Amino acid sequence: MAAPTKSRDLRLDFFRGVALIFIFADHIPGNVLSYFTLQAVAFYDAAEVFIFISGFTAALVYGQRLIAKGALYATAQIWRRAWQLYVAHVFLFVIFIGEVSYTVKAFHNPMYNEETRVADFLVQPHVAVVKALLLEFQPTFLDILPLYILMMLIFPAILLMISRRPMLVLVPSLLLYLAVQVFGLSVPAYPEGRTWYFNPLAWQFVFVSGAVLGQIAARGQDLPRLTRDLPRLTRALLPWALMVVCAAVVVRLTWTIGGVWSEVPRLFFKQLWPVDKSDLSPIRLVPFLATVVLAAAWVRRDAKFLASRAARPFVLCGRQSLEVFCLGVVLSALGHFILAEYDNELLMQVAVNAIGIGAMLLTAKMIDWYKRMDREPVMAAAATPRTQRSEGVIRRDEAAE
Amino acid sequence: MTPPLLAACCLVAMLAAPLAAVRAESPPCQVPAELQRIDMRLPHLAARLRAHKPVTVVAIGGGSTAGAAAGSPDLAYPSRLREALARRYPESAIVVVNKGVPRQSAEQMRERFPRDVFAEHPVLVIWETGIVDAVRSTPIDEFADAVQRGLGALNERGIDTILVDMQFSRTTTAMIDFDLYLSTLHQVGELDGVYVFPRFEMMRYWSEQNMFNFDEVAASERTRLAARVYDCIGRRLASAIRLAVQ
Repeated sequence: MAAPTKSRDLRLDFFRGVALIFIFADHIPGNVLSYFTLQAVAFYDAAEVFIFISGFTAALVYGQRLIAKGALYATAQIWRRAWQLYVAHVFLFVIFIGEVSYTVKAFHNPMYNEETRVADFLVQPHVAVVKALLLEFQPTFLDILPLYILMMLIFPAILLMISRRPMLVLVPSLLLYLAVQVFGLSVPAYPEGRTWYFNPLAWQFVFVSGAVLGQIAARGQDLPRLTRDLPRLTRALLPWALMVVCAAVVVRLTWTIGGVWSEVPRLFFKQLWPVDKSDLSPIRLVPFLATVVLAAAWVRRDAKFLASRAARPFVLCGRQSLEVFCLGVVLSALGHFILAEYDNELLMQVAVNAIGIGAMLLTAKMIDWYKRMDREPVMAAAATPRTQRSEGVIRRDEAAE
Repeated sequence: MTPPLLAACCLVAMLAAPLAAVRAESPPCQVPAELQRIDMRLPHLAARLRAHKPVTVVAIGGGSTAGAAAGSPDLAYPSRLREALARRYPESAIVVVNKGVPRQSAEQMRERFPRDVFAEHPVLVIWETGIVDAVRSTPIDEFADAVQRGLGALNERGIDTILVDMQFSRTTTAMIDFDLYLSTLHQVGELDGVYVFPRFEMMRYWSEQNMFNFDEVAASERTRLAARVYDCIGRRLASAIRLAVQ
């Protein structure tokens, strides 16, 4: 991070790390573990958390670079990040193609090829590949990165504006979100008739609201009025937020439990259902924002558990979010494949989850170790000639937002 | 979890995986008891059968209702269902009309109702839907809305209804996310008090039991296998109906 004076906000890493683990678990259909993730008790899920924190950290990191090194440099850095995300997306797509090609023989089965001709892809691979490169073709699991990439592409403009007048971004962003809810705007995708699963016109609001708060956090002392008012606003909102979150958790929990034991009545099921994820239904957004208020009020930056040994693996996961996210997508697809191919028994599920999450945590730890080693100055070992020693440089952390 | 313990778990899981795959074969069409449970009733159908009156059933759905995969409409599940019902209720003249049209969403099927369903004056409608919506990623609220409106229209006319969920295929799951559409269909059924025939879970069970292996067989054999699967679906539907009219 570019701010040596300020220590990293572990809350961001921790919550994003946990969100990544949840995304992995939720991506495996029928996974027992998904009864214990966020979506089992809340109307929103880890996707909101991931996008919100991504917006927040982007504003935090690049906001500081904007101040220190100017708009041009910050833009270059943001687009470099967008490029990394794009490369990761293409990489995941290649793995997806591999998996599809491997299962092509399924289409020998006459019962499926008639209805499911997934073969939209297999019939015209040349079109599908181009459409994937244009982010228009978004197979299952490959739908959240395009949103993130798009956000990063327009982020330089957002950042410049929120660094001057946050409301000038936040208000239009909210209006766009509301327009989606009222008029049902969406962004077309491939094949014909599909739309972006994460409707960027709606989901941008989560990213932008995260970015506005991140910008305030980045500027800190430059914004004395806001820095003073924000905690006051948080305190004022706290009772309302608490009510919303409690009500939502109780209602959602009856749905989860009622889904397993039909004796438990599912409250407001008929009225509230279905909760639309693509367009980010207000039933998802409002409780999510309320949870953000609760987290801001109750989880202190220096909370002890964040620095504890137990929290450490999750913090590391959140810190290496891009790599861990990609790995999670691959692993959940793999886990899904294994559970479908063999069987779905509890032991197998536990094994798949344990291996998947273990691999994610270990990878995060490994990357963290590598980056730390990479950052350390090349020490003047006895064998090193004197002339070379002066060249040992401290390498800055790679854009670690 | 400590690293050595984790490694041990990984190893155990890897060794256990192939073992779990080996399973004994079981008699065809059999499914576990929990997949045969049915809480709903079909009152209009029950009354007709009790009175020994003729019964018209309309099976509306997609390609797997039309049954082209089996080679002939006589081998599709509606026809197999008719035979099974006729055996069980010989006093009623039973007709099952097949209105399967491949590659249609729930909404497209619902739009066919006036011409294909109501015109036939059925006592029972079996509506098989969801596959194409999952393939096309229809927004989930639109899918739910289409099914609910369809069920509403059937209910208004006093027609008993059974929903049939998707076909299971372990190899298409990488590309199609059936899960959401599957759970939505079941939730709609529960909300509207309509029985959802668990075809997906049944076929998953058969797949796990290795009852129908489509891989590594000749094309002609695949058609025969498809016919056997449809036969099982028809029989299982017939026994669900029997339980619902008791």
